[in-house]
Amino acid sequence: MNARIIANTRILGDYFRLVFAAPEMAERAAAGHFTHLRIDRRQDRILRRPFSIHDADRATGEITVVYKVVGHGTTVLSQLVPGDTIDALGPQGRPYTPPADDVLPVAVAGGYGAAAMFMLTRVRPGVLLMGARSAADVILTDRYRDAGYEVRVATNDGSLGEKGFVTDLIPRLLAEHPGEKLFFYGCGPHPMLMALAKLLRDQGLDGELSIDQIMCCGVGACFGCVVKVNAPGSADGWRYARSCSEGPVFPLADVYTE
Amino acid sequence: MADLTAKLGRIVLKNPVMTASGTFGYGREYHDIFDISRLGAVVVKGIRLTPSHGNPTPRVCEVAGGMLNAIGLQGPGVDKFLHGADYLPFLRTTGATVIVNIWGTGIEEYGEVAARLDAEAEGIAALEINISCPNVKAGGAAFGTDLKLAAEVVRTVRRSTRLPLITKLSPNVTHISEFARAAEAEGSDAVSLINTLGAMVIDIEKRRPVLANRCGGLSGPAVKPVAVKMVYETSRAVKIPVIGMGGISCGADAVEFLLAGAKAVAVGTANFVEPTISLEIIDFIDEYMERHGFKSIDELSGALEG
Repeated sequence: MNARIIANTRILGDYFRLVFAAPEMAERAAAGHFTHLRIDRRQDRILRRPFSIHDADRATGEITVVYKVVGHGTTVLSQLVPGDTIDALGPQGRPYTPPADDVLPVAVAGGYGAAAMFMLTRVRPGVLLMGARSAADVILTDRYRDAGYEVRVATNDGSLGEKGFVTDLIPRLLAEHPGEKLFFYGCGPHPMLMALAKLLRDQGLDGELSIDQIMCCGVGACFGCVVKVNAPGSADGWRYARSCSEGPVFPLADVYTE
Repeated sequence: MADLTAKLGRIVLKNPVMTASGTFGYGREYHDIFDISRLGAVVVKGIRLTPSHGNPTPRVCEVAGGMLNAIGLQGPGVDKFLHGADYLPFLRTTGATVIVNIWGTGIEEYGEVAARLDAEAEGIAALEINISCPNVKAGGAAFGTDLKLAAEVVRTVRRSTRLPLITKLSPNVTHISEFARAAEAEGSDAVSLINTLGAMVIDIEKRRPVLANRCGGLSGPAVKPVAVKMVYETSRAVKIPVIGMGGISCGADAVEFLLAGAKAVAVGTANFVEPTISLEIIDFIDEYMERHGFKSIDELSGALEG
C-alpha cells in the first residue's frame, strides 16, 4: 500500500507532521487508530513502525501523522520529501469510542499523545489537558483550540502552564464542573496512563486509555505488543491483550493497574 | 504454470509456501488482508493443554537484519483452540490447509495435546512438534537440545496420533542433522528448521537486557545463510522431507532453500513486514520454475549444481 507523501515538515523541535495520500484509510480512520509504516526498504532495519493517526481528511483522502524523531526509523522518516512514497497499512487497531451526547469529553495527553486524540474534536467541543516535560514538548495545543477545545497545560519543569503532572489538573477541572458527566480519553507515556487510571477509578470516573507496547506485526499475529488487562473470572484476574489489535484503546474497566 | 504441489510424505500441499508458527497468529489475523487458503499451509501458533500468559514485556526488539523475540508461547490452550470461534472452527471455514504446532512443559503433555487434536482432527493436515522454542525453559530448549529427550517427545506424540508429524528443530545445537535423524527414527513424517537462534541485546545506558526475558530468539534476513546451510546438511542426512525456514523475505530466498534440499518452505518474520509476502513468493517460485524448466517441486528440491 504505497502512499504518496504530500508534506513532511518540522512543527517544533524534534516534532514533525507527515501528510500522505491514502483515501481508503482516510475514509475509515478514527481517533485512536494507527497506521503501520514501513519506512526503510533496506534489510538492516526491517520492521514497520506504528504511528497514531492524527487526522484524516475524507474529502482530500489525506492522512496526517505527528511524530517525534527519537531513533533510526523516525530519523529516516524525517528525511522523506513530498513525492516520495511510504508503505502504509491501516487504519489499524481499536479506536476511541466517540463521546456520548450527555458527556463532556476530556482528552488527557502526555507529550505527543495529544496527536492521537485530535479527531475527537470533530465530534464536539471538550477539554484538552496537556502534559509535557517542558514547553518544548507542548505541541498541537493551537490545533485543539482552533477546533473548539479548551486547553490547559501542565509541564514538569513549570516552563509552561502549571508546574506538575497532567493528572494534577484534574481535581480543579472536576471542581469546576460539578454535577456534569465527564468522560476521559488518555494517551501518553505508560506511567502517566497508570496514574490517570488510578485517579479516574478513585474518583469513580470513566474513560478510555490508549496503551501500547513495542509493536511488531501490527495485526495481532505475533503477540509481541501485549499489555496486561483485567480478566475477571480468570485464574490470575488478568491476561495479556495485544495492544495492536485488541487495543491500543482499552476501556478503563479493562486497564490493569498494579 | 509449473506444478507447485509439495509432497511431504503423507502431507500434500497445493504449493510449497507455508507460514512459520508464531508469525501468523491463528490465521484469522491475516485473513482480512488476503485469502489464507492460497497458502501451502497455515501453521498456527503453538498450542499446549492449558492457556498460558507467555513472557512479560518487552517481548520484541529490532536488530540489524532482523529481530529478537521472547514471546514465551502465549496461547489459548487446546480446548479453546478446538472450540473457540477465532481458532480452528474459523480456520475450517476458510478451506486453508492447517498445521497445528504443539508444545508442552513435560513429555506427557505433548502426547496429551496430540491426542486431543487427533480426536477432533477435522481440518488438521498435520501436527508440528515444537521442541525448539528458546524462550520457555520447559518445553522448549530443554527438549530440542537433548537428543534423548527430543527422541522421547517424538515417540510419545507418534503414539498419540495418526496425524502426520513434523518435528521443528532447534539450530542451537552442534549437529542439527543428528536431531533430524532422531526424529526420523521415531516416526516423524518430516522435519522443519530452523527455529530462532538464541540471542541477546543489551541497553548500555540502562545496563539491562532489552527483553524482559533477558534473552530471545533471532530471526529475519540475518539468519538466512545459517538456515540454508542447516537445511542443506539435514536434507542430505535424512530421507524424510525437510521444510526450510529462517529469514525468507522474498521469492529468491525461498528458492535458495528449495535448491538446498527443502521440499517446502515457511515464511516467518517477513509476514510482519509485508503481510502478503507469501503470495509474492508463490508467484516467484512459479516463474522461476518456468524459467529454469522445472516441472515439479520434487525436481527443484535439491537441484543444486556442485
